Amino acid sequence: MNEIFQCGDSGALVAYLYDECSPGEYAVIAAHIKGCVACASEIDALSATRRTLASWTPPDLALGFQLTRSDVGPAKILEPKIAWWRGPLPAWAQAAAALVIFAAGLSVGTLRTGSTGQIAETPSAASVPVESRTSATTASRDDLAQLEKRLRTEFGQLRSTPTATPVPARGSDDALMRQVTTLIEESAAQERRGFTERMLNMADLIERQRRVDMAQIGNSMGQFRGATRDELRQQNEAFNEALRRLVSDSAR
Amino acid sequence: MTRTDEELVARAQGGDIESFNQLIVRWERPIYALAYRVIGKEEDARDVCQDAFLRAYRALPGFKGQAKFSSWLYRIALNLCRDWIRRQRRAPVSQLPEDADAIELASEKGPVESIEDLVARRELSAIVEEAMSELSEEQRTAIILKEYHGMTFQEIADMQGCPLSTVKTRLYQGLSLLRRRLEQQGQLMPELVKRT
Repeated sequence: MNEIFQCGDSGALVAYLYDECSPGEYAVIAAHIKGCVACASEIDALSATRRTLASWTPPDLALGFQLTRSDVGPAKILEPKIAWWRGPLPAWAQAAAALVIFAAGLSVGTLRTGSTGQIAETPSAASVPVESRTSATTASRDDLAQLEKRLRTEFGQLRSTPTATPVPARGSDDALMRQVTTLIEESAAQERRGFTERMLNMADLIERQRRVDMAQIGNSMGQFRGATRDELRQQNEAFNEALRRLVSDSAR
Repeated sequence: MTRTDEELVARAQGGDIESFNQLIVRWERPIYALAYRVIGKEEDARDVCQDAFLRAYRALPGFKGQAKFSSWLYRIALNLCRDWIRRQRRAPVSQLPEDADAIELASEKGPVESIEDLVARRELSAIVEEAMSELSEEQRTAIILKEYHGMTFQEIADMQGCPLSTVKTRLYQGLSLLRRRLEQQGQLMPELVKRT
């Protein structure tokens, strides 16, 4: 586009509208618009149309597409190179490792075998001598008694000292109440909007269904009318044919 | 660290799916919005969007960076939209709007928007969608690419495979038709700020 603007040049007006012209061209068109009512109103109307278009928003869906190897097929993907020690072990190596661990467990006496080859009983509470069990119980009771005493002392000290928790001032109470009130109001407003939204969706659904139903009824009626017309035509033809035969027979 | 599209494309070309998934995260909304506005159905737009990324990934070895990745992706999505329209063999965007975004938009704009505003905006969105459905496919696509995706005339011309002057004509005629339609419905937004 050169810098000579012809009144009503739609291409130039669109370029001006979207600001996709050189500064020189822009200045020329702007100067023209100041003096031309038709072009000025055209630009105003197109600008208003653009503003209105901005209200069209697509649904804000959670998309979250993710490509997986199964989507793209194995042949397309180049496997990234991983160091041999970071990669998974082969099955034989895993089995060997398991055997080694098992053997190590045996050697440290997790399972102890007797001279007869029978599996020996593992130590349990039942096999512990009575004396040792009694002494352990006595010791733990003493420990518990000491612990209780110490705790009582510490709690007593805590009660006697003033609490370190700051008491909220009256002002902060009010602020908290205001916050809570605001939150409740926002929640209520959101609830109302949600309800309205649901109602609008329902109205949309009903209207859509109504249109679909009407279209189906229209189609069915059309088919019915078509069928009826065809049948009538066939009946008329058959009747005419019978009439013709009758007339020709009677003429003979 | 945020990687550029070109970096992610290069990594994806080496077989790194995660890099391509980052590209998906970056571009799925614009591509979905494009598909939705062109074909007008939520579910189909979602399918087209998904298909566009899958095709893009499969065609990635052939992408030499002669265009921006986004332009290339838009072109794939647009071709899929055209295929969808051909398959449908009817005017797209013919249904009532299925959008359910009003409440999210309301929350984005803050709690100040009243229910009346919400309803009005939703109605207006539906009217615009219906008016757009009455345009030819070329006019509608040109307007969508310009208005909602900020493409230049030249980018749209490349995308639509037509001369730049044709893009301007499509935009002008499309906007004029929309204007008439919206004026008939009394929905044209008045000028908010007087042009100087």
